[in-house]
Amino acid sequence: MSGLAAFAEALLADDAPCPPGLVTWNGSAPDKRFAVYRNNVIVGLVDALADSFPVTRALVGEEFFHAMAREFLRRSPPRSPVLALYGEGFAEFIAGFPPAAALPYLADMARLELRRVQAWHAADADAITPADIAAVLADAENLPAARFTLHPALFLLVSAHAVVSLWAAHQAESVAAALAAVNPAQAETALLCRRDLEVEIYRIEAGTTAFIGRLQQGQAFGMAVEQALQADDDFDPAAALALLLRAGAITHITIPRRSDP
Amino acid sequence: MILGSTPNRRAAAARPRSLPARAGIGLKPEHFRDILDTAPDLGFFEIHAENYMVDGGAFHHYLTRIRERYALSIHGVGLSIGGEGPLDEAHLDRLATLLGRYQPESFSEHLAWSSHGGAFLNDLLPAPYDAATLARVCEHIDRVQERLGRRMLLENPATYVEFAASTMAEAEFITQVVRRSGCGLLLDVNNVHVSCTNHGRDARDYIDALPLYAVGQVHLAGFAEDTDAAGAPLLIDSHGAPVAEAVWALYCDALDRVGPMPTLIERDNDIPALPVLLAEARHADRILERLLPIARGAAA
Amino acid sequence: MNKTLSAASLAIAFGAAMSMAAAPIHAASHGGAMKAETEKCYGVAMKGKNDCKAGAGTTCAGTSKMDHQGNAWSMVPKGTCEKTMSKTSPTGNGQLMEFKEKKA
Repeated sequence: MSGLAAFAEALLADDAPCPPGLVTWNGSAPDKRFAVYRNNVIVGLVDALADSFPVTRALVGEEFFHAMAREFLRRSPPRSPVLALYGEGFAEFIAGFPPAAALPYLADMARLELRRVQAWHAADADAITPADIAAVLADAENLPAARFTLHPALFLLVSAHAVVSLWAAHQAESVAAALAAVNPAQAETALLCRRDLEVEIYRIEAGTTAFIGRLQQGQAFGMAVEQALQADDDFDPAAALALLLRAGAITHITIPRRSDP
Repeated sequence: MILGSTPNRRAAAARPRSLPARAGIGLKPEHFRDILDTAPDLGFFEIHAENYMVDGGAFHHYLTRIRERYALSIHGVGLSIGGEGPLDEAHLDRLATLLGRYQPESFSEHLAWSSHGGAFLNDLLPAPYDAATLARVCEHIDRVQERLGRRMLLENPATYVEFAASTMAEAEFITQVVRRSGCGLLLDVNNVHVSCTNHGRDARDYIDALPLYAVGQVHLAGFAEDTDAAGAPLLIDSHGAPVAEAVWALYCDALDRVGPMPTLIERDNDIPALPVLLAEARHADRILERLLPIARGAAA
Repeated sequence: MNKTLSAASLAIAFGAAMSMAAAPIHAASHGGAMKAETEKCYGVAMKGKNDCKAGAGTTCAGTSKMDHQGNAWSMVPKGTCEKTMSKTSPTGNGQLMEFKEKKA
């Protein structure tokens, strides 16, 4: 094993001895000096996760989060020097982490928070303008075949737990009071999108979820509305479109020229 | 091995001018809006390259606006120039894209490694100063300068341990790297103070042994204090405190040797309000101003 | 709404959506959606995660930046989750949830 390999291995291993070949000018044992590096690596990466997963952290408390994060990062250290997006796989790790088993919603909270970070850093795209929409409506005959391009920062997260309400409760002035109104076992779907540089999170119902999901997959407008109505009798296409428009989430609408009869 | 015999024509045409010999500060998201609102008089801003290797959003929004008004230094923390493996070409591509977009006046990286076996360890780690490391570091810097089409500055490290395998002193190692690769030197005066304290060296002798002709920028920062296993002082490069008196004194001495230099006040921990950093930058500016007449006189 | 979707009905929905989108944001639900986000409107909330500092944390205990090597496998979450633990009764199911906009 090369010198740096031993050094790297000792950084991530728990209670590993100091790597060989280190010296100090005053003959002091190098362990304590090496521990500075180990501490920097572990704390730096735990901090990166703590910044990206603030509600996950709040739910379990600082001490538990730190311990859980260091277990994760020792198994899954970042593969890229770009730490902004570090945390892929954290939710899956949490789902299989026995000490967190009492909180079945915790993994989905981490999924939501990773999506939030991804949405925050996603590519920029301009929303369609009223003039664009007017042009589309002028060609209303082909509207059912229209295909929407949604913003790169738009994400859906379907959960069997009340992730949006739990997340929202942590933004309240009194978190405890807000949490008292939440039933964690309630299934919820989150819509994330970015407007004016800030990520917004909405709780959406089954019809809206189906509608946006289909649009995101590239299905035609008319088909997406039909699927949404199948998912939810009460689906209101105007309200769902208004949500997307208000969020600046539609960046392009393509109406196929009449190639089909 | 010297770079630049056949520089890329486009890169040469687009080559930005250099940073002014004034003080700058590290750009922090906490200060984005204050900077745009108050337009402080500053020599430049410096960013950590990796923080801006994302597709879009607020970081690019603000950096674009701030870059329109200020000189910019891009400082990489993830290339792992001292690493054993080959350079991460995907990362180098991201860096080239970032530099192309913002056209910084300066690009710098560290004499350190941070990736091994595909894992990024998020710290600036030390390597032995021997012939093998020297060859590797020079090869990596050659590749960086070739790919980016510009000269880079290499920063002297803050370290806590030394290697039995080292066959040369750090300053001699850096002198060799600069000579062979043609890169410049980013003289981090705080790192000099931290490392020399940690390894029982004389900071002024160390600076004297560096290739001072190649210095293109200076870094200043604060450190934290601890002790080693024998109770001797062990300084930690925390970037979490104001610049220490000893470091200001060393800075003045260093400037006497290298002349006025673009000088960065670094703060990455416990980041204070913008005016606190601006005050430290003004302190550096006053020291630089004292030297400017000398520099002008020497040039005249 | 009629499930047979005509181009005209879609156009009407679109037109209605435009006027709804132009209206000021209301706390009431729209599109079966409730806005949960109450992002603070000062500064930029996200930090840059890459830097070249050493954590202030060193080898000495007593600093919050020290890596405490607690045994994660025997730990119990002790955070705001404690406020959600008792919410397992079926009475909570299906209750109306409202999100209040937090003042920035």
